[in-house]
Amino acid sequence: MVPDLKPKSKKRKQADDDEEPEPATFRAPVETLEMLSDDEGGEDAASDDGQVDEFPEIDAASDSEDEDVVEGSEPDEEDNEGTDEEDFEEEDSDDSMDRDIFPKPKTIISDITGHPKRVYPEIEPDYDSDSSTEDAPNRVGDVPMHWYDDLPHVGYDMDGKKVLRPARGDELDKFLQTVEDPSAWTSAFDKTAQMDKPLSAEELDIIRRLYGNEVPDAGYDPYEPMTEWFTGKGKEEVMPLSAAPEPKRRWVPSKWEKQKVMKIVRAIRQGRIIPSKLKTTSKKEFYAIWSEPSTSHAPPLPAPKPRLPTNAESYNPPEEYLPTEAERAEWEALDPEDRERDYLPKKHSALRLVPAYDRFIKERFNRQLDLYLAPRIQRVKLNIDPSTLIPKLPSPQSLKPFPNYKSLKFTHSSRARCISVSPDGAWVISGDEGGVVSLWEVNVGREVKRWKFEGKIGALEWCPRTDLSYFVVGIEEALHFVVPPNLSPSVLLLTQNLLAPATLPPAPETPSPVKWVTPPTSSWSSDTAILTVHLPQSSGLPKQITWHRRGDYMATVSGGGTQGGVWMHQITRRHSQAPFKKIRGAVQLVLFHPLKPHFFVATQQYVRIYNLSEQKLLKTLTPGIKWISSMDVHPSGDHLIVGGYDRKLCWFDLELSDKPYKILRYHTRAIRSLAFHPTYPLFASSSDDGAIQVFHSRVYNDLMTDPLIVPLKILRGHTVKEGLGVLQVKWCARQPWLVSGGADGTVGLWCS
Amino acid sequence: MGRLRQKGKTGAAKAYVTRTSAIKKLQCSLADFRRLCILKGIFPREPRSRKRANKGSSAPTSFYYAKDIAYLAHEPVLKKLREHKAFAKKLSRALGRGEWSDAKNLEDNKPVYRLDHIIKERYPTFIDAVRDIDDALSMVFLFASLPSNARLPPSLIENCSRLAAEWQLYVMHNKSLRKTFLSIKGIYYQAEIMDQTVTWLVPYQFTQSIPADVDVRVMLTFLELYQTLLGFVYFKLYTDSGLIYPPPLDVKKDEGGAGVGAFSLQSMSHPVAPAAPKTKAVEIDGRKVSGKDVRQAIKSLTGESEINGGDVDMQNAESNPMEVDEEFVPQQSTSDPQSTASLTTLKALAALPQSLTTSLFSPYSFYLSRETSRPIFEFIVRSFGGRVGWPSSSGSGSPYDESDDSITHVIIDRPLVERTDETLEERERRSRRKYIQPQWVVDCINAGKILLEEPYAQGKNLPPHLSPFGEYEGAYDPAVGLAGQAAEESESEEEDVVIPDAEEEDVGQLAEKSALQAAATSNDATSLRAAELAAEVAGVDYGTFEKEVRKSRKKSKAAPADGAEDGEQDMNKMMMSNKQKKLYERMKYSEKKKASERATLEGKKQQLQKQKRREAKTG
Repeated sequence: MVPDLKPKSKKRKQADDDEEPEPATFRAPVETLEMLSDDEGGEDAASDDGQVDEFPEIDAASDSEDEDVVEGSEPDEEDNEGTDEEDFEEEDSDDSMDRDIFPKPKTIISDITGHPKRVYPEIEPDYDSDSSTEDAPNRVGDVPMHWYDDLPHVGYDMDGKKVLRPARGDELDKFLQTVEDPSAWTSAFDKTAQMDKPLSAEELDIIRRLYGNEVPDAGYDPYEPMTEWFTGKGKEEVMPLSAAPEPKRRWVPSKWEKQKVMKIVRAIRQGRIIPSKLKTTSKKEFYAIWSEPSTSHAPPLPAPKPRLPTNAESYNPPEEYLPTEAERAEWEALDPEDRERDYLPKKHSALRLVPAYDRFIKERFNRQLDLYLAPRIQRVKLNIDPSTLIPKLPSPQSLKPFPNYKSLKFTHSSRARCISVSPDGAWVISGDEGGVVSLWEVNVGREVKRWKFEGKIGALEWCPRTDLSYFVVGIEEALHFVVPPNLSPSVLLLTQNLLAPATLPPAPETPSPVKWVTPPTSSWSSDTAILTVHLPQSSGLPKQITWHRRGDYMATVSGGGTQGGVWMHQITRRHSQAPFKKIRGAVQLVLFHPLKPHFFVATQQYVRIYNLSEQKLLKTLTPGIKWISSMDVHPSGDHLIVGGYDRKLCWFDLELSDKPYKILRYHTRAIRSLAFHPTYPLFASSSDDGAIQVFHSRVYNDLMTDPLIVPLKILRGHTVKEGLGVLQVKWCARQPWLVSGGADGTVGLWCS
Repeated sequence: MGRLRQKGKTGAAKAYVTRTSAIKKLQCSLADFRRLCILKGIFPREPRSRKRANKGSSAPTSFYYAKDIAYLAHEPVLKKLREHKAFAKKLSRALGRGEWSDAKNLEDNKPVYRLDHIIKERYPTFIDAVRDIDDALSMVFLFASLPSNARLPPSLIENCSRLAAEWQLYVMHNKSLRKTFLSIKGIYYQAEIMDQTVTWLVPYQFTQSIPADVDVRVMLTFLELYQTLLGFVYFKLYTDSGLIYPPPLDVKKDEGGAGVGAFSLQSMSHPVAPAAPKTKAVEIDGRKVSGKDVRQAIKSLTGESEINGGDVDMQNAESNPMEVDEEFVPQQSTSDPQSTASLTTLKALAALPQSLTTSLFSPYSFYLSRETSRPIFEFIVRSFGGRVGWPSSSGSGSPYDESDDSITHVIIDRPLVERTDETLEERERRSRRKYIQPQWVVDCINAGKILLEEPYAQGKNLPPHLSPFGEYEGAYDPAVGLAGQAAEESESEEEDVVIPDAEEEDVGQLAEKSALQAAATSNDATSLRAAELAAEVAGVDYGTFEKEVRKSRKKSKAAPADGAEDGEQDMNKMMMSNKQKKLYERMKYSEKKKASERATLEGKKQQLQKQKRREAKTG
């Protein structure tokens, strides 16, 4: 109830001012004085404050905030009144004598009593009159009316009786009332009475003035003439305020000013200060800028011009340029920067129907961005026919013969992993993963003989000697020397003498882990091996068997074991040795040089050439292949081809460099096998894509001429099975025929 | 021992600087740097190795030549920009303190940069400048059509429209307009100035609004440069053709909407001889004739003879060496001033076709209907020597009104409406004039001759409007496609008709047919002859036999005749190096793309024609 003191005191002052006339009015009826003063507080609050407070309530839609303000202020007011009463009493007693602002009483002789009596003038109920005469039945005071919300009454009257809540209709009634009652729009809700009360004419006038932004009080004149107290005629001050004599500086010209001015004058004379230039016109003057010779500086490159418009950009293009629905949808689906064209062709039947192009400014802007933000590169435009890029090579037709069709097919039950062709080119042996080795004729494809070994066949190779005939089969940790059937007796005898001599050569001094075993003569048959070489334990499957051209030495590469798994076997001495004590990298392949005592060893990424007689490394070739799969040496011994699982084929000119002379990549899958033809200028490569590629490879004796490599034919016929295609290719010695073994179990013969 | 080489002291690391370091070096803001780059024409470069240029970092940055930045470092404009920065500080300080007179003083002495030296530097010769005004013209024409707002002061717009008008005036005066193309983006004009083709794009007359994603500051900086450039170029062009620059503007006419007509070209009373004539040009009645003009003239001559009919190949073969001759004749004349005899013949040769193309419309008077755009057609028609009038609703300054009797053509863009309330006089006038759609004017210019008015008459469906600039070589040509396709189509039509007849004929013809097929596929004269004889025996007339031959040839062509060759080619591709292979693939790709583009267009065309024919049959 006592929020702060300052507003209170202020209010109080106001209230004082307001109520000052009151004592004068109520002094005369002395006998009612007490009662009046008693009542006044309440009445005052009800009338004065009620009036002020109820203004916001004229608006039916006034929000609760206003209410709060009103409520908040009400206790204040009440307090005010409380204190006022006391003040009022005091003022009453002492001030009444000397104040002459109050209306003066007239003293007249009373008709009744005959005594003089003071008669005060009639009180006009105007702005500053009191409104105590108005009757307000509800004397509840300035309490928040919501306290009575749940009660049937709204307060108490002067006698302490309940003032019942007036009957209030529902919304419809209210509405009807507003329609029927002509004074409804000039009535406002009276909070204390809890009903609508018509506004008086004065109140309406105040409202009208407030709306009109006028002073609310009708009697106030804002344009009152000013009362002149100190100015105007006859009120001038004649006497000086100070008696001090006038200073000299009032009438002597200033020395310092003169100095300053002179300084400026001198500066102007000397031209240090220039009077401000005439404002130059903003328009630039143009002159013949190119009339004087230009500098020797080279001009910058002109910016590329934008592309000129094509037919599609026309306002009336031929109809075929108009996009179809699908094309339009595709164009709209693309991002603006991905679009090939920045507009969609559109046809307008007349020029007047062509609208403004909405991207005009954007395109100009993009062009400017290009001009100053895009790096420029001068490109040489190749104006050549792309077909000229393809190298001109002799036609394959002129390079016949070469294999170009499959003449016959021999089928294994499992993958035909390895094949070998006899040195005379009449027989083929093929081995599969089931351990079956078949011998068949090249000309007709008839199987002559079949051997069965235990485990996979890793490698097969026919001995290159022509005076005798046998072949070697490599299976798990063993090499079997097998003599084919139907040999002429002399050859058979010679072969048997070589492989199983009556007197064994002397055993080497150092015991070798490789055992050479010949079964007893009695158990010889065409089904079994005549000689078996047992490779050391856990050396795995021999991956490759390769013969020296003389047919005495043989090298094998096994998957596991020490010393890279490379073993060199000498048939006549029945002796095996490991050529390398230690070798870096896993050995993939080995090869004998056809003419020189050189030995090629292919590890995973390099090919090393060793001189066997001098026992030293000659060269390391770097084909740049990730994993070498195959390798073959040209019969001249000067060229080497290396194939890899990464589809590359490298041609090395051994005299030239240890980098490949040519790298070809044409297979779509890993290269599996490579083979040079011993007599014809041909080589072939097979791959996991099931294709065999035959090349013509002419090598010149002239060192200055590069070898000629011409692709001749792609032989297709093998099916790819489990990702494996053609596993091995071999050439027939005297014919341009090719034998290929595939993962599908077929061995094909390709004839010219 | 040699000198120790430190990393990053030579090569790309030294030659390139990143944008950030360039700004740091120039000690200016990014906005100022951008302004400088635009004005000076400095653009980023692409180093061969980004890593090497950026100290091993491969972050995406833009590189500039270190030398370019070094030149920028003592650029007067940069100095002015710095001064302006100081000025802006002083001004804001004065304003903040309320020192109004100081602020006014500062404002009066505001640093302003000029771009003359930059123009001279970027375009050392006049030809360089002319070659590069394409963008400038497009920009000026664009801004001339923009509404002014807070960012675009009216003075700027006014200056741009003035520059645009001056350019049009010059082109009209010198009759140097060559080609025009009405596109959906705007109107492309191509003029030939000093042997350089200048192409510019003018938007259609609509109010453009600047989109939000466009940086106006960049455009305004460019415009600043372009205005200066165009001013100098115009000065040179005007003075070289003996005119006063700038041409005085008649304010009253301009307010009346006279457009180009508000300017009046004034020739100099005492023409100043150019200080250093750079291009020695032959003059024909006050106009320069360049080698290109002559070539064009010859081309148009040969073009005429083509139209006349005659073996075109022969003509072309003859004209080629002539071109070569023409190339060097003017050079000879410049080196040897006495050999004027040859020049006169050249003049005589060149004068005829030149006048034909550039004064194409000189015998005609045009009247623009009020819905046609006056600025466009006034410019085009007047550039080709025609007279043009327009109703007062299109602006003031029309030399004659609609009732003038000299009017030969009315450019009208309205659908045809039957008018009943025509007076006799009006009808008579109407019959005397030709009412054509605007496209006729443009197509005439591009064709270099007056076309038939018939297809372009009012209310007709217009023939397609093609680009005069041509397309890349081997692109689909709608004009050629029309003729060739039509012949083939008719042929296939006939075939359709013929085939049922053939089936009716007896079986004996089958043998003949097979022989014929063999003949066609073998392309052998003797076997063809034999087949012909066989056909004669079978009683087939020669016409049908010919058709059969053609048909079977077509079929055999469709079959892969050169499959074997293709295979060989494919195999030979193995022997290409990787680099070559990639290049080949790229070229093939673009070739294939072009071919497919062409094929789709041709396919669409065929379909359209078929549809049309079907409609014609049914309807």
